[in-house]
Amino acid sequence: MIKADNNHKLRGNRSGILILLGVLLLVVVALNLTLGSVRIPLRDIVKVLFGQDGVKDSWIFIIQDYRLPKIVTAILAGMALGASGLQMQTMFRNPLADPFILGINSGASLGVAIAIMGAGLAGGLFIPALNVAGDLGLIAAASLGAGVVMALILLVGRRVNNPTTLLILGLMFGHATSALVSLLIYFSAPEKVKAYSIWSYGAFNGVTWDQLQVLIPVILLSLGILAFLPKGLNALLLGEDYAKTMGLNVTRLRMLVLIGASILSGAITAFCGPIGFIGVAVPHIARNLFKTSNHKLLIPAVILIGAIVAVAADMVAQMPGTQFVLPINVVTSLFGAPFVLWIVLKRKRRATSFSV
Amino acid sequence: MKTPLLATQNLEIGYVNGKPAGNVVGSNLNLHLFQGEFVCLVGPNGAGKSTLLRTLTGLLPSLGGEVLLGDKKLAEFTRKELASEISVVLTSPIEVGAMTVNELVAMGRFPFTGLFDRMSDKDWEVVQHSLELVGLTGFEERMVHKLSDGERQKVMIARAMAQESRILVLDEPTAYLDLPGRVSVMNLLHELSRQHGKTVLTSTHDLDLAMRSADRFWLMSPDGKIISGAPEDLVLSGDFQQVFARDQISFDVMNGQFSVAGSNEGAVCLQGEGEVKVWTERALQRVGYSVREDSKQCIGLRVDIMGNESGFVWRIGEENLKMDFYSLESLVSYLRTKTPHA
Repeated sequence: MIKADNNHKLRGNRSGILILLGVLLLVVVALNLTLGSVRIPLRDIVKVLFGQDGVKDSWIFIIQDYRLPKIVTAILAGMALGASGLQMQTMFRNPLADPFILGINSGASLGVAIAIMGAGLAGGLFIPALNVAGDLGLIAAASLGAGVVMALILLVGRRVNNPTTLLILGLMFGHATSALVSLLIYFSAPEKVKAYSIWSYGAFNGVTWDQLQVLIPVILLSLGILAFLPKGLNALLLGEDYAKTMGLNVTRLRMLVLIGASILSGAITAFCGPIGFIGVAVPHIARNLFKTSNHKLLIPAVILIGAIVAVAADMVAQMPGTQFVLPINVVTSLFGAPFVLWIVLKRKRRATSFSV
Repeated sequence: MKTPLLATQNLEIGYVNGKPAGNVVGSNLNLHLFQGEFVCLVGPNGAGKSTLLRTLTGLLPSLGGEVLLGDKKLAEFTRKELASEISVVLTSPIEVGAMTVNELVAMGRFPFTGLFDRMSDKDWEVVQHSLELVGLTGFEERMVHKLSDGERQKVMIARAMAQESRILVLDEPTAYLDLPGRVSVMNLLHELSRQHGKTVLTSTHDLDLAMRSADRFWLMSPDGKIISGAPEDLVLSGDFQQVFARDQISFDVMNGQFSVAGSNEGAVCLQGEGEVKVWTERALQRVGYSVREDSKQCIGLRVDIMGNESGFVWRIGEENLKMDFYSLESLVSYLRTKTPHA
């Protein structure tokens, strides 16, 4: 078959890009490992990674317990935010949908605020000596908050075809949840308020290996759900009516996306704080790069690109050569906000809203 | 008696708007769709054509009565089962970029591929064949958003064909198309049913095209009643004219077209032949004259069509006045200055 062959050829080109992206990820990870307020030669980093002797103890500590977990967290966050952004853009059929813009992060923040400052968890969850149950509780609170807001937006905004209207909806939900957070802050003890406000700046550091033992399986499992979704998500590209007449169970797909995307954005928000714009930008980069809307390709693409973008953003946030570390949200917003403006301005016709 | 592929029994259609009774658009509908037929659903705007099609395709629940596919009720089908009974093409253009024609048509195989959407060689053959049916072979790797509206709608029809359903339902597939696009899509539907035995049900506003290609009309009146019959029968019975009755607009039974009822300026005797006569007649009707065949007893205005080396000449003869015109434009503008209220 000519077509099948063509498809194989195209896939060949595209898997080439995927491999390149994989290499790029390794490069940014290596760069990120070497950069930082303390200069550690690459040779010594390699030694630490492979457990060889002859490296200063303080360097071993910096790499093993600071830089490595931070990079793993950044990779997880990038993968999760990119993937949930893609799912939401397809589900809402809106190029601007993403956890941050739609206020779903605010929902997660509210969940976290309740967990940190709420009465039931008096100890506060951000004290380093956390247990697994506490971590899971935090993830659950954030995911639940995210899920509730997303379900609300689905209810209200599903029939809204105008992306700008959806933006306003997200903005309103964001305002409503931050009002509730403010209320919580008003009635909370100062040290809890401080813990919350540090969290709300967003950061990849500060997540411990113990916490990663919870975060890694949660993220990988939720990404695993995605392996079953490309077919349905592709059908949804034609619109709900077409998808139904092709035999898609739209309600079930929407539930799966709702659960998956809520856990992905909720878990990351719980541990890293609200991180903006990675979710909206990464799917667009992927579509541009691969010139396709096919989720079979887009899903691995957003996972890889998300990881690259997050690790790179963290690198910029380190301000190499200085002692300062910027909140990660500052970096993603500085680059991301113009990106969203560009998406809004360039889409002249709706027909190309999902195109390159 | 053949059994219909699709039948409705006392079907009641409409939207449920939270109100207890809902918004009933049509009721007591008893319709039949037979294998290989090309049926056009026609009726004025707002009669409920889309509501009916959405109900028949299971996108909208019925308010009462039954839709039967074979001898099984529509409500008893799962979405997946229904997908191999009915495939659909909708009015609005799809909003998708960065997708090739091949990828889009391959979506028609959705009900047949597994969880991971792996296409077999047979699936690709069906895709190829569907593109052939709609005459778009060679478009496989073209981007969908770069096609013309007509081509894109044909790709959607190919996608529906790739679904290999027993019935193809289309909701005003030509609404967004230019005239050549409309003609070619309607011809395609006609061909699919006539030459490939596909059962096609489409709603349309292109009455002229529909009348020339449909086996049957489902004529839907504004009060939600549907009369079924051959287009010609419906015209002869007067039902067609009645459903589309409007002020100022009348259906000309003689030429099968709608015309704007204008002022009546009287009769013209027209003498001539061939296509020039046909178009002269149209020009005269446009300014309000009714045209009679030339006859010896012609009184009043007469127009003779003559030819010379450089083209046609129209000669107006009126009692003792004779004038020659070299284009229909000048003829018509002369006649308009003649009329008292022009």
